[in-house]
Amino acid sequence: MTDALGGLRVLDLSWGPAGALGVLLLAEHGADVIKVEPPGGDPLRGYDGHAVWNRSRRSVTVNLQDPTGLEAFRRLAATADVVVETFRPGVADRLGIGYDTLAAVNPRLVYCSCPGWPEGHRRDGRPGWDALVQAASGQQWEQPGWRPGPVFLAVPLPSAAAMWLVAAGTLAALVARERTGRGQHVRTSLFQGVLAYTTQIWSWVPDGGFGYHAVMAKTHPPGIHQEMVFEVAGGAWVHTSMMSGLPPKRSMDEVVGVGAEPTDAARFGMLSEAERAEFTARRREAYRRWERDALVTALREHNHAVEPITSAAESLGCGGRPHPQLTANGMVVEVDDPALGRTTQVGVPVHLLGTPGRVRAPRPAAGAHNAEVFGELGYTAEQIAAFTAAPGDPAVATGTVPGAEAPTGSEVDR
Amino acid sequence: MSALAGVRVIDFGQYLAGPFGPMILADLGAEVIKVEPVTGDGMRPVTKPFVGCQRGKRDIALNLKDPRGLEVALRLVATADVVHHNMTVGVADRLGIGYEACRAVKPDIVYCNTFAYGREGPLAHFGGLDPLFQASAGIEWDQGPVAAGNPPLYLRFGMADTANAFASVVGCLLALLHQRRSGEGQELWTSLLDAAQWLEADALLVDGAPATRPILDAGQHGFDAGYRLYPTQEGWIQVAAATPGQWRALCEVLGCPEHADDPRFADLGTRASAAASGDDEVGARLAERFATRTALAWSRLLDDAGVPNEVVLDTKEGELVLFDADAERLGLVAEYHQGRLGRLRQCGALVTFSDTPVRIDRPPPRFGEHTREILTELGFEAAEIDELHAAGVVASPPADYPWPT
Repeated sequence: MTDALGGLRVLDLSWGPAGALGVLLLAEHGADVIKVEPPGGDPLRGYDGHAVWNRSRRSVTVNLQDPTGLEAFRRLAATADVVVETFRPGVADRLGIGYDTLAAVNPRLVYCSCPGWPEGHRRDGRPGWDALVQAASGQQWEQPGWRPGPVFLAVPLPSAAAMWLVAAGTLAALVARERTGRGQHVRTSLFQGVLAYTTQIWSWVPDGGFGYHAVMAKTHPPGIHQEMVFEVAGGAWVHTSMMSGLPPKRSMDEVVGVGAEPTDAARFGMLSEAERAEFTARRREAYRRWERDALVTALREHNHAVEPITSAAESLGCGGRPHPQLTANGMVVEVDDPALGRTTQVGVPVHLLGTPGRVRAPRPAAGAHNAEVFGELGYTAEQIAAFTAAPGDPAVATGTVPGAEAPTGSEVDR
Repeated sequence: MSALAGVRVIDFGQYLAGPFGPMILADLGAEVIKVEPVTGDGMRPVTKPFVGCQRGKRDIALNLKDPRGLEVALRLVATADVVHHNMTVGVADRLGIGYEACRAVKPDIVYCNTFAYGREGPLAHFGGLDPLFQASAGIEWDQGPVAAGNPPLYLRFGMADTANAFASVVGCLLALLHQRRSGEGQELWTSLLDAAQWLEADALLVDGAPATRPILDAGQHGFDAGYRLYPTQEGWIQVAAATPGQWRALCEVLGCPEHADDPRFADLGTRASAAASGDDEVGARLAERFATRTALAWSRLLDDAGVPNEVVLDTKEGELVLFDADAERLGLVAEYHQGRLGRLRQCGALVTFSDTPVRIDRPPPRFGEHTREILTELGFEAAEIDELHAAGVVASPPADYPWPT
């Protein structure tokens, strides 16, 4: 069986989830991905989630402040089809690895940039941490919480959207390259990730006729979907929903055993406000009498849409079995991580039947493939040791650029 | 020419999770034809979300249950590179537009079906909406957060729908690139369940136990005293003091330098552990201080001290972003005339390209707006087209068009 991206090489200069997970979608469909890290490794390596973001690729370290290291990186980039980077706009150019420099040697290169803020935006010089983009884009203000005011989003939404845009933008440029023969500079950002997830709720029309803004408006307490969250026995939770796509055999109220009146939304809607409040309390009480998994089974047997509300760890099988459909979809995978040991991780979320994706390898240790990758380019072991180590490291045999400072967290996004 | 110039997509989807993916393909430059039932897309009456996932497409209204309608559909498929829809398992096969039927008329077709749960397995026969998969993935658990004693909380961003749409876009592009390189098409699928789980990719188990992750506090402010929201005298501020130097500077600007040296709060890790174990002494102290000035005043001071921060913006449901001069100049905003709504402004380019410019200039189509045009392109004569209309096999917009879009 062939791979969708067999024979394509990707250099991943990114830190943080947006770049790494975007690249992961390419890596697990067969691209040869090389993660390029500073000497000592990507500073986010200490975070456990890093093991998922960065699996299925090789790793090299290179000191880009060292002219030999910079030259080695450029020679590597000449062999690549794709470069992905998440530096703040301008940083890659200052390091000497910007699009123009690399494309001059390799015009077929697709170069994808994903900073926090897009180049040319007035905020493009400011730090682009996920929560800062949540805040200044306005996304935090869109989510109703348990109190008035903006709410911190626990899932890093700008990054969790931008990861798709990194993959989609890169792939679209590769499709275009089949036609034009040329690579190009692809740009997205965490801010555009925010736009991706607010497309449905951020739009503007002159007078909002036809109830335009009433649907999906922000409300306190949160709206209709939140009303279908129910507490069950033992402090557990379920989420019921409209539309299972199947004809209900009995109403939800009947299955749950609420009793005394409404058995569907239409009849509930005919009650007065006071009657609704009374009935809602009765309904919530009835749910609390059920053990979670028994209720889920009973509702599904009657063709109703329901899910237990779980932590992500429980979905993957912590304390029991994984979600049965995640298992059926091949979405729960075992990976032996060199640093963490035996791990259970989320699988590949795009299912190509002709060229299936798969986890290729665990996350590599920083620089695990220095000898292999730079050896292929003709470097000797001594040369490699010199430009893959940090300045001041005893392994460094030759000098660094006089006066050059190592990149710092404040210069580099995320 | 745009990145996906020359790529034709047939979109048989309805509602949200299906049509949003083809809209993104249209943004990237594909030519997308929406095939809509003669009874109309079920989402049309709900204007705001409908226009949120339909721009850039042409529209033909077609009765697939009529053999002549099916024939039109397959003639369209024969001209296409990609077929995309969100019908539940088995429905497309019954209608006669399943993968095998499409491959018979277009051997290298890329065929994408998005599901709620999956293609086979214990729950594959169920459809389902976005909230179910925010529940299953852990998103509502984390946002509550349940771990801090709150109820789970639904996010109103359509997380699973949107993630599924993007997963399908990535899948179609992977398969399309493979088709361009090898000549072979294929079938692919995605699901709301899987795509939502991917939003929680940093949740993993180590030897069966949850790995370390920051958790939200009960007040939904953030992860630790240096990486959270604070209410101020006026407005809210988000700080992100990631390095020890930034933490020290934050404490100094706020007038409580003694906290910079407290080992409980010395770095991200210890602050997160302190917060997780309920020790929010330093957060409470900083919150008191933040309450004494406005968010903007604190932001200026923190900028001067090199502490990453932003004042939280209330965009008035996007208006301030959609009319932002930088966003306009960078093409991050799109505007067109939308029937009876008038001017319609939406988010624009999610990705831009140096060599293949993005043009987002076609509003969501009216019901059947391009039925005649598309049939003519397929080689139907005017008389045949009239006959198909008369027989209810196809439809064009009625004179008393009832919808705002």
